[in-house]
Amino acid sequence: MITRRGFHAAVAGAGAAATVVGAPAIAQKKGGEAIVAQQSPPPSLDAQTTSAQHARNITTHIWETLYARDEAGNVVPDLAEGVNISPDGMTYSFKLRKAKFHNGKDMTSADVRASMERYKKVGNSSAVLRDVVAFEAPSPDTFVMKLSKPVPSLLDGISSPRAPFAIMPEEQGGKEANKIDYIGTGPFQFAEYRPDSHVLLRRFDGYVANTAYKERDGFAGRKTAHLDSVRIRFMPEAGARAAALEAGEIHVNELIPTPAAQRLKANRNIRIHEMMPWAFQVIVMNHSQGPMQNLKFRQAIQAVLDYEEIIAIANDGLYRMTHGWQHPGGTYFAGDIGKELYNQKNVAKAKQLLAESGYKGEEIVFLGDSTIANHKGTTEVGTEQLRRLLGINVRAHIVDWPTASSMRLKPEGWHLWALGMGIEPYEGPFNVAGFFAKPQLQTHVEDPVFEEAFARLQSSPQLADRQKAMADLQRRMYDNVTAIKLGDFGIIQGARANVENFKPYRAPRMWDVWLA
Amino acid sequence: MIRFLANRLIAALPVLFIVSLLTFVLIYFVPGDVSAELAGPGASAADIARIRAVYGLDSPFHERLLGWYAALAQGDLGQSVLLRRSVTEAILERLPVTLSLTALALFLAIAVGVATGILAAMRVNTWVDQATMTVALAGLSLPDFWLGLVMIYLFAVQLGWLPTGGYVPLTEDPIGWLRSMAMPALALALTQIGLLARMTRASMLDVLRQDFMRTARAKGLPNRVVIFKHALANVMIPVITVVGLSVGILLGGAIVIEQVFSIPGVGRLIIGGILRRDFPVIQGGLLLTATVFVLVNLAVDILYAVVDPRVRYDR
Repeated sequence: MITRRGFHAAVAGAGAAATVVGAPAIAQKKGGEAIVAQQSPPPSLDAQTTSAQHARNITTHIWETLYARDEAGNVVPDLAEGVNISPDGMTYSFKLRKAKFHNGKDMTSADVRASMERYKKVGNSSAVLRDVVAFEAPSPDTFVMKLSKPVPSLLDGISSPRAPFAIMPEEQGGKEANKIDYIGTGPFQFAEYRPDSHVLLRRFDGYVANTAYKERDGFAGRKTAHLDSVRIRFMPEAGARAAALEAGEIHVNELIPTPAAQRLKANRNIRIHEMMPWAFQVIVMNHSQGPMQNLKFRQAIQAVLDYEEIIAIANDGLYRMTHGWQHPGGTYFAGDIGKELYNQKNVAKAKQLLAESGYKGEEIVFLGDSTIANHKGTTEVGTEQLRRLLGINVRAHIVDWPTASSMRLKPEGWHLWALGMGIEPYEGPFNVAGFFAKPQLQTHVEDPVFEEAFARLQSSPQLADRQKAMADLQRRMYDNVTAIKLGDFGIIQGARANVENFKPYRAPRMWDVWLA
Repeated sequence: MIRFLANRLIAALPVLFIVSLLTFVLIYFVPGDVSAELAGPGASAADIARIRAVYGLDSPFHERLLGWYAALAQGDLGQSVLLRRSVTEAILERLPVTLSLTALALFLAIAVGVATGILAAMRVNTWVDQATMTVALAGLSLPDFWLGLVMIYLFAVQLGWLPTGGYVPLTEDPIGWLRSMAMPALALALTQIGLLARMTRASMLDVLRQDFMRTARAKGLPNRVVIFKHALANVMIPVITVVGLSVGILLGGAIVIEQVFSIPGVGRLIIGGILRRDFPVIQGGLLLTATVFVLVNLAVDILYAVVDPRVRYDR
């Protein structure tokens, strides 16, 4: 069931993320500066250490990784030509392609080894390398990882742009978090950072493109920097960003509110790009507190909510109704499993379940944050529905993002938590399921059925077995009400009409883009 | 006067100490720190703990408090966790931006507000009085961030006269600086223009009714001299008091205006620090703000003496 209403695609160049870019029809032009506006400055420009979107928007231009994701999110080689995995699944031997750092030095396996060793120490997703026991550089173009046990998700992990496994010069390898020089192999090099104002990137003329590809492909592919420079400006006010795009002061706006996009659609100097899906809208359930320990109580919540009303209001109408815990069309999409329990809107059933649960009016805290609008909307509408439809004593507790993010790590103080999961489903099944399994265990109660399926997902060498494990996990998500997925929501980006070949993706890519 | 100044500066120290202590305690007990921003929503408690250890955020309260005061005693506001520079450096980079914005807004507020107030008082109960006071009331009532957005739409998008936001340093391009500051300063000043206009009008009307004003007019002095020499001097004391308060309000308002117009000033530094829990930045920024308030109050007291010969501090 995929439905849409509200804003719809009278959008130029929109389309799903999963299409490969065709050859541009207009002649490419070198030069000029493109100005990209984003909401916030990056918390850090040390790519390895942060998973923030606003860092990724910048760092993916500077650094590259051994493996990356293509336009459809599949794992593909980037700085590696390929990998040879030993039959026991415990040795990964990467053949490296030619690449040059922004300091003029050729990349070798020593640089890769130092980068990976640093990642294991300070990297944001260092758990990916938990079972790696040795990094080796037997020859300048060969890099080897040795594992203590087979980890079929290893390539998925190191290719994720969440907190990129950025390859940097060997001499940066020993540096602490946030203390490196910004030197990578990417098509743009770091030039200037003025906090609260902008980051300036300049074209790296020594860039060695990946000749194994014909064109840009996700974060991989053959990249060409046409622009002389890219200036990423930090503009916190959404109205001011939209106005700047309208006035022609910026070329790309990474996030336009739906109402502003409706207005800008009529402007022939602007192209509106829709990115659907961008993220899951989720209500995380804390299984450890009060009535939430009771499955029937959780099932009552699952049965009563009007998912579509919540996600529609929380996202200004830019959503689609999908029940899967993976995106449709993806390798691990599990079909109709759990669909019968999705968006039931069954008040009678919910009341019955609530009565059976023995609920005695205990207070339920619905945690949300005002920093991210769809979190706040989900909290408010969800709270209202639970009060009105089921008479549950719910209190919306809306704080700022750091507070909510800190509170949810503790089992006490909250029962429901509104969250958008964006990068996780893009990465595949591992971090989606991992969020609810040990050690993250966002439910705060270990579920042996879920853990067993998650272990199979992580360790099964055969894809079919891992797909089966993901299907089992999805079944369990619905049966045990591990969490509630309300649907998918999208985002809208905008570009001036003279920005050629721009295509929205997980970050606004400014390579293979030129100004007409 | 020097003794007075010395006394006031010494008296300011406990104020600043209490502000810094309260800030430190409040921030320490607010949930969350930079690890939330760095780690993202998918992080586990173990991930957060690891990041906290990497950035030295796991040390106990007393150690951090003593460390902060030990560094402060040497004039060091600490290192920003995220900005890769000292807090002092980060503040000094942005202070000229915020001060120039506030100064321009203050200049507009005084020039327009005082002039409008005098005009309204001189034409009391006429259409001029009614019109200026209505506009002043509107200026007082409208939120500055809303005014800012309306101005952006009108002057930048529709008319294309001014940039939508951003900042050009005065030293690099004075015209560019003025263009980048015009809308933010006006949006910031409008509330204070309204306040000063109403205040000046009320004070002026008060003074105009005094006996010495009647005497001045009876002596046959020209109206210009009566107003600008005799009346205005007496109006200035309450006006200076309001201007002193206005500086504080403008500095506070600059935080919002800097957000709307994407200006890299101290306000954005503090807001960014709060949203990301970059503790040294919040502490340093708030201490600076408190210091500015204390200094402005001191300046107002000194101005009283300059404007009104009856006020003396050396007795």
